[in-house]
Amino acid sequence: MGETVFSLSQKGWGKLHEASIAQSLLDIVIETASENKAKFVKSVKIDIGRLAAIENDALMFAFDALKEGTIAENARLYINDVPIVGRCNVCSFDSEYESFDFCCKNCGSYDVILISGEELNIKEIEVEDE
Amino acid sequence: MSKKVEVKDKILSKNQKIADELRELFARKKILTVNFVSSPGSGKTSILEKILPDLSKKYKICVIEGDLETENDAERIRKAGIDAYQITTGGACHLEAFGIKKALSNFDIDNIDLLVIENVGNLVCPASFDLGEDFKIVVISTPEGEDKPAKYPSMIRVSDVIVINKIDLAEYMEFDVNKCLEYARKINPRLVEFKTSCKTGEGLKELAEFIDKKIIEKNADTGC
Repeated sequence: MGETVFSLSQKGWGKLHEASIAQSLLDIVIETASENKAKFVKSVKIDIGRLAAIENDALMFAFDALKEGTIAENARLYINDVPIVGRCNVCSFDSEYESFDFCCKNCGSYDVILISGEELNIKEIEVEDE
Repeated sequence: MSKKVEVKDKILSKNQKIADELRELFARKKILTVNFVSSPGSGKTSILEKILPDLSKKYKICVIEGDLETENDAERIRKAGIDAYQITTGGACHLEAFGIKKALSNFDIDNIDLLVIENVGNLVCPASFDLGEDFKIVVISTPEGEDKPAKYPSMIRVSDVIVINKIDLAEYMEFDVNKCLEYARKINPRLVEFKTSCKTGEGLKELAEFIDKKIIEKNADTGC
C-alpha cells in the first residue's frame, strides 16, 4: 500500500531537508531565468533566518550538487543570515535574540511576536541575458 | 548583459501553495488535521494506539504515517482499528504537502472528522514543511533529556501543543519536567502542555479530550 513519493534528485542528495529546500530554490531560479530569457544565471541571493533550522553549508552543498547541468550551473549562492528579532505586544520594543529565550528585553513580557528570523526567502537573481 | 531580477518569493512557495490548498480543503470538509512531530522513538505511534480507538467511537479517523522505510507503524494503527496509510519517504527526513495530497486519495475525504499525520521522526526538518494542518503536536520523551526544546527551538516555535511522554520514566531518567517545560515556554509561551505515559495511562485522557474539543470547534467553524 505504501509508496515512495520523493525523488528530489538523481544524485542522491534527497535525504537532507536542505536538499529539498535547494531543489525548490533551484526550480524558482530556473523558472525566473527562463522568464527573463537569460543565457545563464550568475548569482542567487537568499535570506535565511536563524530560526529556519537551515545548515548553510549543507544548503550550499546541495545547491551546488543540484545545479549541475542546469542554466544555473555557474551560479553562486549568497546566503544572508537574518537575525531573530521579536516585537513585544506589551511595550512595542524590538529585541534581537542570540539565544532561544524570547522574552522582551525592555519589559520582560513573553508576549512577543517574531518579526524576523524565520525567513526562507529568495531576494535576487542575477542573470546574463545576451 | 547582466541584469538583476528581484524575486520576492518564499523558497518553499511550491510546498506552501499545496499546503494552503490542503488547509482550504480541510476547512471545507471540516476535517481537523493534526501533525505529530518528534524525535524517533518518542512514542508517537504508541500515543495514537492509545487515544484513537476511543475517539473513533465518536469520529471517523484516518492516519497518514510517515517513515523512511517499512509499513510497520501503519500496521500498528490498523491493528488498533483505525484506517491508516503509510508513506515511505525512501530516505527523506520529512513529509511534504504533495505527499499528503497524494495520500488523501486513499481515503474517503467526505467522511473524515480527524486526520492525523504522524511525521517522520525528526525534530528539525518537518518544522519547515507546512502540511496544511490545523496544528502541530510536538512529543518529547523523558529519556531524550530535558533540554530538547532548547536544542530544537524551531520545532517548538511552530508547534501548538507539547506532550512530555514516558512521564513514568522521568524520575529514573533524572528528567526535570518543569525545567523542560520552562525551556519550551521561553521559546513559545502559547504551547498547551500535556504529560503522558502509555504505560500507566497518565494524561492520555486529557490529550484525547483536547483533540475531541478541537474536532468539535472545527465542525462549528464556518470554514470561511
